[in-house]
Amino acid sequence: MTRRSEILVAALALSAPVLACAKPIAFAEGTTVMLEYGAGTMWEAQIFYAPQYNYSVGGGHVEFDSDITPETVRVTYARLNYLVHRWNLESAQANVFVWGGAGGATGNTFSGTELAVNAGGQADYETRRVYASLKTDLQKANAFSIRVDTLQLGIAPYEHDYHQIATWFVVQARNYTGGIHNGVELAALLRFFKGGAWIEAGVTNGGKLQAMAMFNF
Amino acid sequence: MNPYRILLAVLLLLISVVAHATTIEMHVNGLVCAFCAQGIEKKLRKFPATADVVVSLEQRLVAVALKDGQDIPDTDLRKALTNAGYTVTTIQRSDTPIDAIRTRLGQPKP
Repeated sequence: MTRRSEILVAALALSAPVLACAKPIAFAEGTTVMLEYGAGTMWEAQIFYAPQYNYSVGGGHVEFDSDITPETVRVTYARLNYLVHRWNLESAQANVFVWGGAGGATGNTFSGTELAVNAGGQADYETRRVYASLKTDLQKANAFSIRVDTLQLGIAPYEHDYHQIATWFVVQARNYTGGIHNGVELAALLRFFKGGAWIEAGVTNGGKLQAMAMFNF
Repeated sequence: MNPYRILLAVLLLLISVVAHATTIEMHVNGLVCAFCAQGIEKKLRKFPATADVVVSLEQRLVAVALKDGQDIPDTDLRKALTNAGYTVTTIQRSDTPIDAIRTRLGQPKP
């Protein structure tokens, strides 16, 4: 994919009127820790602190392991997340986030450590019964350009309250660019959260594990 | 009856309600998930006058129990909720005990 089309897709992702829940900013003066295992092709760990409700700072580490070639890429980065806009509706909330950062990358198809830039965005909408999110995340260096686009649609079998465990059935469609995975990877996930803890796990159409855990405190 | 006396009586009644208010109930837009509730609770518990906080996603309600003889101005409450990323639509004071509100909301006591 060309740079122009990458920018176009990212812009579309940010402007699309879609509906998400795993946010890079949970709440003001809160710390968010996220861990994700992406079906053998990706795993990522992140930690962010939000001084205010509309931005957070932190960093992460992501590893990509191509299931097409023997290529592996590892990026450790610092990142700023920014809430561009939030719509507080009577029984719903919608958000648009963007983020950017930079870090160092290593891999088995290039030598040494390369400067890598990270950019992405997320648009989401949620009620207590349905939610949807569209996220795009680009890691780019001279030696590689990998973008992960993720669409999630969720439905809750019941409307949870604060003191209850929330349960969500989620379907996920994910597309990797940069030779990590061919085609769109689909996954069915079961998500639970209560208070500041969230865990989800499921299986992809390739029969692999897809899982995520998030903690806010 | 002298209209000034009626006005005075109403004012005294209002002052007495405010003076004895033990709980503040706020309706909040955008309150849809546990993380929202967690952030709001954390913010409101930082007020020295806060004794307890109850959040109901179902009713989009945030209730603050006040310590004896203390209060939190509406402007401070609105600012706290706005800075937490949410929109307050109404603020009401009452002398309803916080546990009665929990019962009304079907929430367990801590």
